[in-house]
Amino acid sequence: MQPFALNYARPAAELEVSTPYVYDSGLQLNVLRDGRIAACDHALMRELGTTTSTAGSKTHFDD
Amino acid sequence: MTVLILTSEEDVTADMVVVHLNASGVPVVRLDPADLTGGVALSGEYVHGAFRGHLSAAGRLVSIGGLRSVWLRRPGIPASRAAAPSGWLAEEAGQALYGMLRGSDARWMNHPDAARRARHKPWQLRLAQRCGLPVPATLITTFPQAAREFAERYPDLVVKPVSGAHPQDPPRAVPTSRVAPDADFSAVAFGPTLLQRRVAKRADIRLTAVGERLLAARMATGAEAEVDVRFAESQAPWHPVEVAPRVADAVHAYLREAELAYGAFDFVEDGDGTWWFLECNQSGQFGFVEVDTGQPIARTIAEWLARPAAGQEARVNGASAKVV
Repeated sequence: MQPFALNYARPAAELEVSTPYVYDSGLQLNVLRDGRIAACDHALMRELGTTTSTAGSKTHFDD
Repeated sequence: MTVLILTSEEDVTADMVVVHLNASGVPVVRLDPADLTGGVALSGEYVHGAFRGHLSAAGRLVSIGGLRSVWLRRPGIPASRAAAPSGWLAEEAGQALYGMLRGSDARWMNHPDAARRARHKPWQLRLAQRCGLPVPATLITTFPQAAREFAERYPDLVVKPVSGAHPQDPPRAVPTSRVAPDADFSAVAFGPTLLQRRVAKRADIRLTAVGERLLAARMATGAEAEVDVRFAESQAPWHPVEVAPRVADAVHAYLREAELAYGAFDFVEDGDGTWWFLECNQSGQFGFVEVDTGQPIARTIAEWLARPAAGQEARVNGASAKVV
């Protein structure tokens, strides 16, 4: 009784990385431990993949 | 006049836009509707023929009449982090927040009605066809026999979810996948199934549209590459690519018809260089393209959000909106 498309399902790959930044409600931005703004560090963004199009994530509906 | 951003705290992609708004001196209030009744509060009164409403978050107070734009980015379910969350409270909180915001003159990226409609993949396919974008032959059906006949006509098929959503119990992903030549289609009867002719691609294209501006990026692939780029084991970098005038005209028509100020279009490029439309994500990610290509997507979004609200159409997107 399983729909056809679910024959192709895979375990969801939630992002396992622990992000090295935290949200600062005063700045309304995520900041690194050294106080820098995380979004300005493009190399880090690329490494973490947190701005990447993903699938199967609860937190990323439209990618 | 303030830009209101509705998104989660962990949305570091939104940060890329906040940085530009801050640099421009444009006031920003960022909040997650999930925090309503906790860190987020609202109030609005309709008295003597007038409306006055306010939102507050993290010590900031903003008048709803003082909003120039609303960026509906990745908002959580309203009040889902309240002390006693419930479906009823979520509906109440959502009606209160979005109901007040809908009455403002702010410009939306994207308006909730347009966003909801734009998520329907069958609707996307039809709109793309009408706008002149090439769409691979597609069938959505619960008839196993229709699927078998489609597979005879188009032997090389992919299957993908109709909704783009993924089952959560247990959490699974349903990527776009090639259908085996000897597939048994009897299970098509148990759920609407989207089958599409596989395009032998030489590149994936992500075209990010912000108002009138189109920023396209290309990633070269092999013809037998992973069908779903999100699941490719190793990815080449994205590079900026020009948009052919005919494609640009069709994409602009799509945005106008869909009343979208923002859209992330996915195409595949075939051996002839034709871009085949796959889908348009009305809130698609863009950070990964910007960090590879250096294209100023975040800055363009910030500029769109920073335009004044007064004197323009209330909900129509930047593609056709008049700004004075």
